[in-house]
This record gives sequence, structure tokens and C-alpha cells, in this order.
Amino acid sequence: MNVETSTNQSQQSAFMAVLASFWFEFRQNKGALYGLIFISILAFIAIFADFISPYDPIEQYRDALKLPPVWAEGGTWTHIFGTDALGRDQLSRMIYGSRYSFYIGFIVIFFCLTIGIVLGLIAAFNRGFIENMIMRLMDIILAFPSLLMALALVAILGPSLENAMIAIAVVFIPHFVRLTRAQALSELGKDYVSSSKTMGASTFRLMFINVLPNCMAPLIVQATMSFSSAILDAAALGFLGMGAQPPSPEWGTMLADSRQYILSDPWMMGVPGLAILFTVLSINLIGDGLRDALDPKMKTAKG
Amino acid sequence: MFSFLFRRLLVLIPTYIGITLAAFAFIHVIPGDPILVMAGERGLPPEKYAELMHAFGFDQPLWKQYFDYVGQLLQGNFGISFVTGRPVLDEFFELFPATVELAFFALFFALLIGIPAGIIAAVKRGTFFDHSLMTISLTGFSMPLFWWALLLIVFFSGYLGWTPVSGRISAMFFFDTPTGFMLIDSLLSDEEGAFKSAVMHLILPAIALGTIPMATFARQSRSAMLETLNEDFIKTARAKGLSPFRVTIVHAFRNALIPIVTVIGLSVGVLLGGAILTETIFSWPGIGKWMVDSIFRRDYPVVQGGLILIATIVIMVNLMVDILYGIIDPRIRKQGH
Repeated sequence: MNVETSTNQSQQSAFMAVLASFWFEFRQNKGALYGLIFISILAFIAIFADFISPYDPIEQYRDALKLPPVWAEGGTWTHIFGTDALGRDQLSRMIYGSRYSFYIGFIVIFFCLTIGIVLGLIAAFNRGFIENMIMRLMDIILAFPSLLMALALVAILGPSLENAMIAIAVVFIPHFVRLTRAQALSELGKDYVSSSKTMGASTFRLMFINVLPNCMAPLIVQATMSFSSAILDAAALGFLGMGAQPPSPEWGTMLADSRQYILSDPWMMGVPGLAILFTVLSINLIGDGLRDALDPKMKTAKG
Repeated sequence: MFSFLFRRLLVLIPTYIGITLAAFAFIHVIPGDPILVMAGERGLPPEKYAELMHAFGFDQPLWKQYFDYVGQLLQGNFGISFVTGRPVLDEFFELFPATVELAFFALFFALLIGIPAGIIAAVKRGTFFDHSLMTISLTGFSMPLFWWALLLIVFFSGYLGWTPVSGRISAMFFFDTPTGFMLIDSLLSDEEGAFKSAVMHLILPAIALGTIPMATFARQSRSAMLETLNEDFIKTARAKGLSPFRVTIVHAFRNALIPIVTVIGLSVGVLLGGAILTETIFSWPGIGKWMVDSIFRRDYPVVQGGLILIATIVIMVNLMVDILYGIIDPRIRKQGH
């Protein structure tokens, strides 16, 4: 009993030490830190949207159509980012729109990680026929440009945000499968795996308890980068009318709404586009920082 | 080299079977009866419906339909468009040059700026130039393409009035298009101002489409150069007293080429995907816009045929990249994999 608690404690302190050294490395990267700050603020806005948002995002104010933002001529403080062609408050739509970004990113990454890891590990542990089947299937998905593949899938499933997320996840999964397989194969030859095998560990245990934790570093980096790609692709699908459907205030859909006014009221497309850019940029910066911190070998050679 | 190529081609066969299966499955899993979709709002009398079902072979068992389909594909028959009634392959070859022209100049723009910028950043590592270049390229990499295209239109077409908003050439010009490449055709046509009009139409979409690859090239060539610049043979070359230019370009850059060629190869898929958005925004009559329009019009034979044709291009380009590796680095073709 006593022994167990002390191993538990030493395990815990070892984990804390890893975490501390990780945080030390991550902090060295200024860009990653700024990215983290921006994403934290955005997460706060998304969580407390109900309290922060001045108006309902789909309420139409018919007496204030296409009102310019406050810094432009004719703008008022009642609608800080102005209103769109239907008189909906842009600021409130932006605030609620931030929820969609996290929703899209997390769901897509969840599916990519679970399915990608399982298929990748199965391929690595079953060399030969099963491995070939899985990897050829991934080659087929990769043979189509991702946006085209996603568009075709949405055409089959019907246009909606959920179907767009499924389509994006399908398109991203091959990268996770390839990465997991390659990483697992390099681990399989190591001594700790053979000794675990000699001790009689089941394949399941070998896969998920022994090998997987040592494959996680590049997968976390890939997941972060895919988080931002998922936001971009979902916005692109929304922009083409194949993602989130009106009146939901998704940023890509907002850009699609503003498209016919780009020459008469160009400010309308400014805020949603900037929001997508900063969100994606921040997540990519965090991804760069994670890569430097998690795997010094992959260091992008900064400065 | 030949056995390397042979093995590489052999792997393509199962991939290709999968691609045709995927395209074949597409028309069967899509919601709604394709015959009814083709008939449109008016509907069909039952005997006409049965006749069409038979004509398209939809009354056959699935496996037979698939083999008939592959047989047709092997004879170059990619189906007939529901909307225009023309063979899919004809439409594809008519529109493909427009996409090639756009993608070629986007790639040219990306290489012309991206690679030199990456090399200079690596050589001047840690300077202000390096930091600002990396910030700019990460921003370009994170840019929503459709928004960037709209920004370019607002500034260059709306505010400055320099460039037209859509299409490949001004509607005032009429001439034959024997090659399908507007720049060449307009030069051949003897029409005054046609070439300039074609160039002005091409600039914005090419910049929009080339921005993300440019950012990728700059980042990739910088990190590849940094890696080779640290190698011993570079130190030797420097110690021999070779000029810095010779060391950078002849010795380091050649060895940094493999990762750079990889990204260039990968960027073809990115360019084709990006062409979907760029062509839609600029009303550029290429295969990207053709695919989007067909998906919206539910013109399934076009979507089906287009998917196979586009996948073929991506696979061919990947194959070419693999062969290029063998040429750049003889070690790879010896190893085989």
C-alpha cells in the first residue's frame, strides 16, 4: 500500500516536471505565447457569448440596414461593427460565430485523432494485407484535392455544418493514419516493446498503453495544425453555401452574405475575414510552439 | 531506375481501382434517383422512366454496372452531362487549359518570390528581414483564400480600378482559341489590346491562388537551407575559399532541393483545390468552377467523371515528383523505396 502511493507520487512529480519543462520551452516562443493569449480570449468570448453579446445574432433590425461600423462615416455606437444587409448586428454575430470555430475544430480533431490512431496502430501491428488495405484506402482519399473531396461528400450528405465537419474529418484522417503508423513502426523495434511482449502483454495493451503514448508528440502538433485547417475549410464550405446554413452566424457564411456588397460596402467583409485570419494564425503559432517544445529534433530553427 | 518506376506504377493499380469504385459509389449513394433528377421538375411517365433506367443500365445488378462503367472509362467514355448533353471528357479538355494557365502562373509567382525569400531568410538568419519574412509567410499560410481574393478585388478592382473583376478576357474581343491558353491565343489573334486584357484578367486570380503556396515555399526553403548550411560539406566549401554565392546556391541549395521539390509536388493538389475557390470568385471558366457548378446543378456524371480526371492529375504529378527525386538524389532510386 505504502509502496504504491510513493510510486504514484513519484510518477506524479515526474509528470509535473515534464509539464514544467514543456511550459519552459513553449514560453521561449513569443509567437506561440501571443497565439495562446488570443485563443484564450476567444474561448472566453465563445463561452460567455450569452452575456457579452449586445444583441441577438439573428434578430433583424429593419430600421438599421447595412449600417457602417463605428469608425466609418455614419457609424453609431449602438452597432459597433455595423449591421448586415438584413439589419443584424455584426458584433453579436461575430461573438456567437466564435463558438462555431471551436465547435468545428474540436469535433473534427476528435474524429481525426480517434479514427486515425486506431487505423494507424492496426496498420502498424498487422503488416501485410491489412496494412496494405488501410494504406491504399488512405492513398485514394489523398488522391482528391481535399476541398473537392469535402464538397463531393457534402453533396452526398446534404449541405449542413455537421455534414461539412464529417467531410472535413474524412479528408484529414489519412494524415493521422500515416503519421501514427510511421511513428508506431519506429517504436515497435525498440527494446521496451519486445520486453513488454515477453512479459505477455496483449496486443491491445502493447498498442494503447506501451506504444501510443510515445507516438503522441507529432500527433498533437498535427492535431493543432489540423484544427486551424478545419476552421479554414469549414469557412470555405460555408462560403460556397455547403457548410453552415443561414441564419447561423458562422464566419464563412457571413463572408458569403457580404460577397455581393464587396464593391458598395466593403467593410462588411472586413471583420469576419480578419477574425478567421487571426484565429487560424494564432492556432498555427501555437502549433509551431508545440512542435519546438515537444520535439527538439523537429525544431523549426528559430532565431 | 526502371525497376523503381515499375514498382511505383504497380502500386497505382489498386489505388486506381479504389478511385473508380469511389466515383462509381458516388452516383449510387447520392440522395435522390438520378433519372428523376435529370427529368427535373416536370416528372416522367412510367414507361419513359423504365426506358431511361434501361438506357443508363440502372436496372442491371451493381457489380455488372461497375464493370460496364470501368469498361466505358477504359474506352475514354466518362459519361454525358445531364445539363449540356455533351461528353464529360470534351468539356474537361475545353476547360482544363484555363485552369492550367491559372495554376501555372500562380505557381510561377509562388516560386519566384517564395524560394529566394526563403534562401535569403536562411542566410540572414535572426535578422529583422528573417523575422518579418517569417511573420508574413505565416500570415499568408493562415489566410482564408476566398477572403484574400475578395480583398484583392476590393483594392485593385474596386478602389484603384486597375484590374477587371471576372472572366479571362474582356467581352469586346472575339477570336479563335486554338490552344485554349488565353495568353497565347490573344497574341496569335492580332487583336490590339487583347493580350493586355488577358494579362490583366490573369494577375489577380494568379496572385490569390499563389499566395498560400508562396508562404509554404518560403518556410520550407528556409528550413531546408538552414539544415544544409550547418552540414560539414558547407564548412569545407567555405574553408576552400569559395564565394558565399557559390556556397549558398551551388552547394547548399542543391542539397536543400529535395524537401523543396516535395512541397512543390504537394502544392499541385493545393493549387487544384484552391482553384475551386479562386475560379468561383473570379468567374474563371476552368475545371474548379465547372466542378462547383456541377455539384450545385446536380450534374452527377460531370462530378463523377471530373473526380476521376482530377484524381488522375494529382496521381500523375505525385509520380513525376517521385521520378524527379530519383534524378536529384541517386541514392533514392538505388534504395527503391
